[in-house]
Amino acid sequence: MPEGNEDLTEARRTIQEQQQEIERLRRRHSDERFAEDLRDALTLAATTGAIAAPSQHSVLLQSIVETAARVIPSDAASLFLVDADAQELIFEIALGQKAEEVKSFRVPLGHGIAGLVAVSGQPMTVSDVERDPRHASDISVRIGYTPRSILCCPLVYNDQVVGVLELLDRRGASAYSPADIDLLWHFANQAAIALEQSQTYRNLTRIITTVMENAGQTDGTQGGFTRRTESFVRNLEEDQVYRRSLALADLVREIAWKGEDELALCEQVLRAFAHYLSARTSPMAGLEADP
Amino acid sequence: MIEPRPAYSDPFDPEVLRTLDRIDGVEDISPEWAWGNSTGRGVRVAVIDSGVDAGHPAVGGHVEGYVAITEGADGLVYDDAPHEDVFGHGTACAGIIRSLAPECEIYSVRVLGRRLGGRGNVFAAGIRWALENGMNVCNLSLGTTKQAFYETLHELADLAYFRNTMLVTAANNMPTPSFPSVYASVIAVAAHAGHDPYLFYYNPEPPVEFGAPGIEVRVAWSEGGYVTTTGNSFAAPHITGIVAKILGKHPNLTVFQMKGILHALAANVVPAHDRLQPLDEHVGEK
Repeated sequence: MPEGNEDLTEARRTIQEQQQEIERLRRRHSDERFAEDLRDALTLAATTGAIAAPSQHSVLLQSIVETAARVIPSDAASLFLVDADAQELIFEIALGQKAEEVKSFRVPLGHGIAGLVAVSGQPMTVSDVERDPRHASDISVRIGYTPRSILCCPLVYNDQVVGVLELLDRRGASAYSPADIDLLWHFANQAAIALEQSQTYRNLTRIITTVMENAGQTDGTQGGFTRRTESFVRNLEEDQVYRRSLALADLVREIAWKGEDELALCEQVLRAFAHYLSARTSPMAGLEADP
Repeated sequence: MIEPRPAYSDPFDPEVLRTLDRIDGVEDISPEWAWGNSTGRGVRVAVIDSGVDAGHPAVGGHVEGYVAITEGADGLVYDDAPHEDVFGHGTACAGIIRSLAPECEIYSVRVLGRRLGGRGNVFAAGIRWALENGMNVCNLSLGTTKQAFYETLHELADLAYFRNTMLVTAANNMPTPSFPSVYASVIAVAAHAGHDPYLFYYNPEPPVEFGAPGIEVRVAWSEGGYVTTTGNSFAAPHITGIVAKILGKHPNLTVFQMKGILHALAANVVPAHDRLQPLDEHVGEK
């Protein structure tokens, strides 16, 4: 019997060791995958140049709309985003007396002047709004505000209409002029870029959050890695390595703009250099930590 | 797409060489010569837009043909049943064209719908439909800024040019190039602030070649209404209407002849010996 007991103890120990080994391998695999996901996320950040925080983007958008309404003197202004799935416009920024009330509305594409501008991709002015069937009069009636004049400009990014910038009630004139259209177009351009960067940042944050949540679920022993990563992501903007990667990504992108051949040559040169470096015996090789 | 052609020297073989009518000297081109007494009768005008409301008083109660093009699950769908104007934009254009050429035939080619996406394909299909269905003039108060359609639209614009179909296009209202308005084969139009529908200018710095009324203009809109609005969209149909009138009197003109006639009749184009006089004296004469 004692022999049997020893066997059993031995077997339990072996199983425990195997379990630990499996667990260690699983953790290592998970870490590697995590590192891979993180690298993908950083590549996305580097290629798009998204570095500012989302809060800064909304402040920037607000500022663009406010400045537009000040430079082209207007009583009210709105910025809508296109919800392509719902085929609707959503108020993102609203300035003016009825700002809070209009924010809750969604405008179907092709409805009202903003909806028409979103579909046509062309700016539009209207100077007799009350008699204009294009104006989404149901919203006017519900909030008790009917503008006399409207100027509306699409936000275009990468050939896509991503939103609409609208000014209401031109001060000092009965209608918006062609010069006003031209001016608002420049603001709309700024807003489109800000929006797109904000969207990219949100995507990036979502990816990183998902990766970190998945990593956190495996077990508690990854706390150190997760914490390091969190800190790294938090300090992304200050990180010198990240900044250099970003600069490098920009350089490659600049070369890519020159043409396919130039990009292929660039890739060939970089690969050859990387190959040379990896083939060279590194004095650091012996110092590599054994996992 | 590219059809096999006969040898390019074939048309100049003495056996087949055709004799054509020469248009009058440029000094004889006057509004009276160009469109006097013409109502645009017999000229087929495609309004490639959001639809046309035939019942609108400005349109005059009749639209000669319809096709609504949409993207279906298995490709493009062509519906030739009478349709309405989704926005009022096409009705505005048709109203302007009929105000100048009341007896022209209007064909509503609806390519603009309530949804985003797929517009480039549908738009190109609208132009192709107009070419295949014998339209003489197409009013294009819309365009696309998508580079992906540069080639397709360029090919269609050239095809139109070779078939003597006039593509009158609105220049983009924003400082980015839109297709097909930047091509040399089309008649590109932007807005000027005047309100005389027969007053237009030639721009010596293309791609925009002509300027016509389009700022704070009162135009027909949906539900039988009218609106006051601004945009190159409303300048183009002024030129379309004039082109239809000219074709009503001089059918078979080529696109380059039409551009020459429009150039001769532009308010800022004056005989060289009159150049010393202030421009204002000539404005409004045409």
